[in-house]
Amino acid sequence: MSTSPEDVRRTVVEFLTLIEKLPEGFADDTPLYADGAGLDSLETAELSATLEDVHGSDPYATGDMPQTLGDIQAFFAAGS
Amino acid sequence: MTSDVTATATAAAEPRVVVVTGGSRGLGAGIVESYLASGDRVAACARSVTPEVEAWRASHPDHFLFETADLSRSADAKTFVDAVVARWGHVDVLINNAGVARDGILAMASDDDIDTVVDLNIKGTLYVSRLVTRRMLARRSGSVVNISSIVGRSGYRGLGVYSATKAALDGLTRSMARELGSRGITVNGIAPGYLRTEMSHGLDEGQMDQIVRRTPAGRLGDPGDIARVCQFLTDPRNDYLTGQVIVVDGGLTS
Repeated sequence: MSTSPEDVRRTVVEFLTLIEKLPEGFADDTPLYADGAGLDSLETAELSATLEDVHGSDPYATGDMPQTLGDIQAFFAAGS
Repeated sequence: MTSDVTATATAAAEPRVVVVTGGSRGLGAGIVESYLASGDRVAACARSVTPEVEAWRASHPDHFLFETADLSRSADAKTFVDAVVARWGHVDVLINNAGVARDGILAMASDDDIDTVVDLNIKGTLYVSRLVTRRMLARRSGSVVNISSIVGRSGYRGLGVYSATKAALDGLTRSMARELGSRGITVNGIAPGYLRTEMSHGLDEGQMDQIVRRTPAGRLGDPGDIARVCQFLTDPRNDYLTGQVIVVDGGLTS
């Protein structure tokens, strides 16, 4: 799958749906953790692994901690 | 290796992708042979190619992958796991078997002795487990078996560093099981007793004879004894068994 913002969004939304943590009105600036989707540490690891599995890399592997879907899309847009 | 390794092997409906570290000789080779015999796809790595590896490449060209790797180096571990994923797309089973021993009284051990054993036995296992369990998390399924040793529990004169690393693996087994259990991934350990292959791990003939005399089963173990337990622990039907270290030692430590 490509790393276009649309495809990355699809991956993240599918993942949040799978774990039943897709917030109502989920947007690019919705926090992924507390006060947002509420991902815990294991779910964050799962998201990281899923992004790598689907898109070939992931922002967490660089040591960054993206806070939102927008941060993840920005990582891929930068060609990382 | 004996053909009875396969006697209780579970034939999966679909071939599983099985990763065996240190799978070129001794115990690791017995485990590789068992999973090949049960129809699975097996990826193995070690620091060098052995005649067993050459034979499997010829006999199972579609089901066997081998990469030379020094797993004490993170980059080698990544190259190996990437090669497995590139060929077969995922990993169902990980057998962390790679290990090395250096015998000698701890008071006389060099930095190199300690680093060599710790780097492969602990850090190498962590590197591979990190990479493979990420893949398992993405699929929410998988089985991991860490091969430790009874000396991690009982200790053994002259194997202090090795014993410490094997005890560490038992702790890793329990922690990984707690981390991953809710995602359908089982993590167990096997603590083998003394195998015939231990001859290469620093024990001399006299020590081995003494061990046999003290073992209720009256013999040393062979790779098939351990491979059969690997098959049991990684059988998808046994997914309620996790976080345990099974001692397989002929009753020696009972």
